[in-house]
Amino acid sequence: MNAFFRKLRWLAERRNKETELREELQFHLEEEAERRQAEGQAGEEARRAARRELGNLTLVEENTRAMWGWTVLEQLGQDLRFAFRTMAANRLFTLLAIASLALGIGANTAIYSFMDAILLRSLPVADPQSLAMLNWHVGYRIVRGKAAEERDFVMHGMSGSTWDEDKPGITSNIFPYPAYELFRKYDSVFSVVFAHYPSWQVMRVNLAIKGQAGIATGDYVSGDYFRGLAVPPAAGRLVLPDDDRPGAPAVAVVSYAFSQSRFGGAANAPGQQILIDNLPFTVVGVTPPEFFGVDPASAPDVWLPMHTNELMGAAHQFGFRPEGYLDKNYYWVEVLGRLRPGVSLAQAQSVLAPAFHQWVAGTASNDRERAHLPALVVKEGGGGLDTLRRRYSQPLYVLMAMVGLILALACANVANLLLARAAARRREIALRLSVGAGRMRIVRQLLTESVLLASLGGALGVLFALWGIRFLTVLLANGRANFTLHAELNWHVQGAAAALSFLTGILFGLAPALAATRVDILPALKATWAGGPEARRAFRRISLSHALVVSQIAISLLMLVAAGLFVRTLSNLESIQLGFNRENVLLFQLDARKAGHQDPEIAAFYGDLRKRFAAIPGVRDASLSEDSLLQAGTGLPISLPGAPPGNGDRLLNVGPAFFRTMQIPLLAGRDFQETDRPGVPAVAVINRAFAQANFGDRNPLGQHLILWKDDRPARDMEIVGVAGNARYGSLTEDVPPLVYMPYNQGYPHPDQMVYALRTAGDPLRYVPSVREIVRQADAQVPLSEVRTQAADIDQTIAQEITFAELCSGFAILALAIACVGLYGTVAYNVARRTGEIGIRMAVGAQHGRLVWMVLREVLMLAAVGMAISVPVALGASKLVGSFLFGLKPNDPLTLALAMATLLGAALLAGYVPARKASRIDPMIALRHE
Amino acid sequence: MSRPPSRVELLQGTLDLLILRTLVAGPTHGHAIAKHIQRTSEDLLQVETGSLYPALHRLEAKGWIAASWELSDKGKRARYYRLTPLGRKQLAAEQSKWEAFSRAMGLILQPVDQEGQ
Repeated sequence: MNAFFRKLRWLAERRNKETELREELQFHLEEEAERRQAEGQAGEEARRAARRELGNLTLVEENTRAMWGWTVLEQLGQDLRFAFRTMAANRLFTLLAIASLALGIGANTAIYSFMDAILLRSLPVADPQSLAMLNWHVGYRIVRGKAAEERDFVMHGMSGSTWDEDKPGITSNIFPYPAYELFRKYDSVFSVVFAHYPSWQVMRVNLAIKGQAGIATGDYVSGDYFRGLAVPPAAGRLVLPDDDRPGAPAVAVVSYAFSQSRFGGAANAPGQQILIDNLPFTVVGVTPPEFFGVDPASAPDVWLPMHTNELMGAAHQFGFRPEGYLDKNYYWVEVLGRLRPGVSLAQAQSVLAPAFHQWVAGTASNDRERAHLPALVVKEGGGGLDTLRRRYSQPLYVLMAMVGLILALACANVANLLLARAAARRREIALRLSVGAGRMRIVRQLLTESVLLASLGGALGVLFALWGIRFLTVLLANGRANFTLHAELNWHVQGAAAALSFLTGILFGLAPALAATRVDILPALKATWAGGPEARRAFRRISLSHALVVSQIAISLLMLVAAGLFVRTLSNLESIQLGFNRENVLLFQLDARKAGHQDPEIAAFYGDLRKRFAAIPGVRDASLSEDSLLQAGTGLPISLPGAPPGNGDRLLNVGPAFFRTMQIPLLAGRDFQETDRPGVPAVAVINRAFAQANFGDRNPLGQHLILWKDDRPARDMEIVGVAGNARYGSLTEDVPPLVYMPYNQGYPHPDQMVYALRTAGDPLRYVPSVREIVRQADAQVPLSEVRTQAADIDQTIAQEITFAELCSGFAILALAIACVGLYGTVAYNVARRTGEIGIRMAVGAQHGRLVWMVLREVLMLAAVGMAISVPVALGASKLVGSFLFGLKPNDPLTLALAMATLLGAALLAGYVPARKASRIDPMIALRHE
Repeated sequence: MSRPPSRVELLQGTLDLLILRTLVAGPTHGHAIAKHIQRTSEDLLQVETGSLYPALHRLEAKGWIAASWELSDKGKRARYYRLTPLGRKQLAAEQSKWEAFSRAMGLILQPVDQEGQ
């Protein structure tokens, strides 16, 4: 340490040190001369002898300076100064190199910051490493919705999600409440076991404060939730075990951000009375600012004790029922645990898995269920739930691969430019070698230059990345307000960017540096700029620069194929027959039930609003449905009279004039009307798929359908119309057989409603009128999810749109970089062969032949590049198969188009220098040598 | 060419020891150090100036000796070196190491003489 500071001080005083050294040696010489004079030598003779005895003064100085320990740093300083000078002397080269590196490094940094946010970030709670997450896995696909006696899986009902993971079968993190109580008994493994329930009902609540209503997101949590996460309150207190029991006073905890925006500060929140879905709650506390729960994909505004779901569920026809707490076959709570110190995940697994197995075996009611019992999987929980990971990791890996290729392209390009320049500097380098510079010393100096280039590129790249992150966030969020994936340039992202810059600098610099210093000194010194015989030989050999161009062409083809696949996927998606007209429709959602409206008044409330919306000037038609066509997905048992109920037939509750508003063609019969109201015989409209599946050639009009509830007929409907097939629930899946029913003719009763207004001109222009009408009707009713029908559709293909846009951009960039590289190489070779071309012209070569001679080289390079790339493209495109629609991964048209584009671009890049070559004046060219 | 054949080449690393030992007598400058070594060794050891100054600066960088500008006996500015406490410790260590080494060399090179006595 001491020595270090001493050296540092020396560095600061370096100039002084050098004069001092000179003075010291001078003193030595004088002393020596005096001594010799004293011994009787003559003055001049003595001085010369002293000098001789000392030897090479400069060498002594140099050797002494080397002892100061800063030689490497000094040389680095020299190298840097020299590198800056060279860069300033070649501005265009420097600019091109830095810009392409900045693009490459910036794109990589931006994508990596998202990966960092998704894969590496821990929950902002104390000791996240000791959190464990409980999952189960079953090795086969469950067929849900079967009749009771045919069931083959112990999960009879669920609220939550299951997903596919790497292993075949399904995985989930929801458990029956009794299983959660089982896990709580293992206090030798866990210090706390806690649960939460992000039900669809609590994910969107109507939260009213002093009459001001708004949509908020919530989460039900067990009494030990906050103790388990070890989160301290920012104000008041958090949910305690005593709050989480039936009949406890209804309390709520709000997020810090919510307390700021709605109560004007955390300190004001405790004690406030609020209405959640029209039920009174008392706010008791506020969570810390950075806390967002256990799922990075969501950010709740309010946390409610688990058992309040009994209160909330009572108001809903499909709401939570208290029996859910006892049902061993109803899966709904997500369970986490805090491991005791010293207990590993593997130990927890080995204790809990057999216990769960024994428990779950007791819940199976037949042999089929016993054959496929779910197995417990204890996973690390420090990163929170892996919702985001599942949703975005695959697309991000694809994007990461692409930006990685872009960076490789940029590196190849800069390497090529450096190579060309190194060749131009052959004489300089040969000169340095001949006067005794070590080869490593020169390599080090060339590497300093390339690392400096890369560092500047990296610094600029970080700026690019900042912009790229913002752009990607917008692109990935695609208009969703509750988008929670926040990437940032934290220290490890920046560290990664710096490491990447350094690495690329070495990577693209090393080969040219080694090549440049492998010089035969004499011929290189003799050679003229126009190129000696050795240069001509190199042209026909497979040179490093040719290999680089070939690799660039190969990479470009990959990018072009990817872009082609994604663009064609998008165009396939956009040309899907919707069965309705997506243009000029405004959609928005109202939820009157959450403002306290009850049956049967709520239906009239919705109907009245529809009439008022229809009366807005410029609104041609107005209707409503329980969900927009593409987001819909309701299934209830429906049958023909006399037949047993099926399970989960698709249906959609809609309002009057629905088919006219959406412009779904009616093949027979009529649209719903105002007269289809409560109290009159119930009606239904079926789609063509339903008619074909159930009636064949018979006329469905006048036939009846039965809607079942709890195995009893609940609604008898007469079919009054047959509509064309319109997309339902998904853009890409087949249109299912579907029954449209009026929303106000009995069970199921309306909850929230999505209104559709067919407008003249831009639909969003009508939003203020809509807001005003809703406010006048009932200010407590929250208006949400305002969007156009077109945007609603784009939402479902957001990922495809993002991919098509990004990949097209990447492909164009790749093509541009590759063309610059190709142009540079060809132009450089033409310049080196000026003399040869001059001779050819002098002996009568035609212009055309000369152009062809150069283009032949370009074509050869392109052909080799493509020959390498096509098999790779065919293999790699299978990896993105799941992102494609309407075409196979090895789509021949896409491949042909990509190859044609690349070939065209390559010829263009080669033609310019080729033409230049054919214009060479033989006289001037020959004088060159 | 001018060097008498009786002179001994300095072993690698011994110069450091000689410099440190010379400075025990008190601070002095580079030329005096060289001459002192030469004189005390009865002209057997000749310190090359080309290796003396790098060695002095190396020892200074290690913190074993320190330097300052003083006036010489003849009133000229000279760079004087003196032993630091760290250098004194180093000297003790080097010296015992050297003594062990030279004893070992002696034991190996002179057993015949000893038997003869």
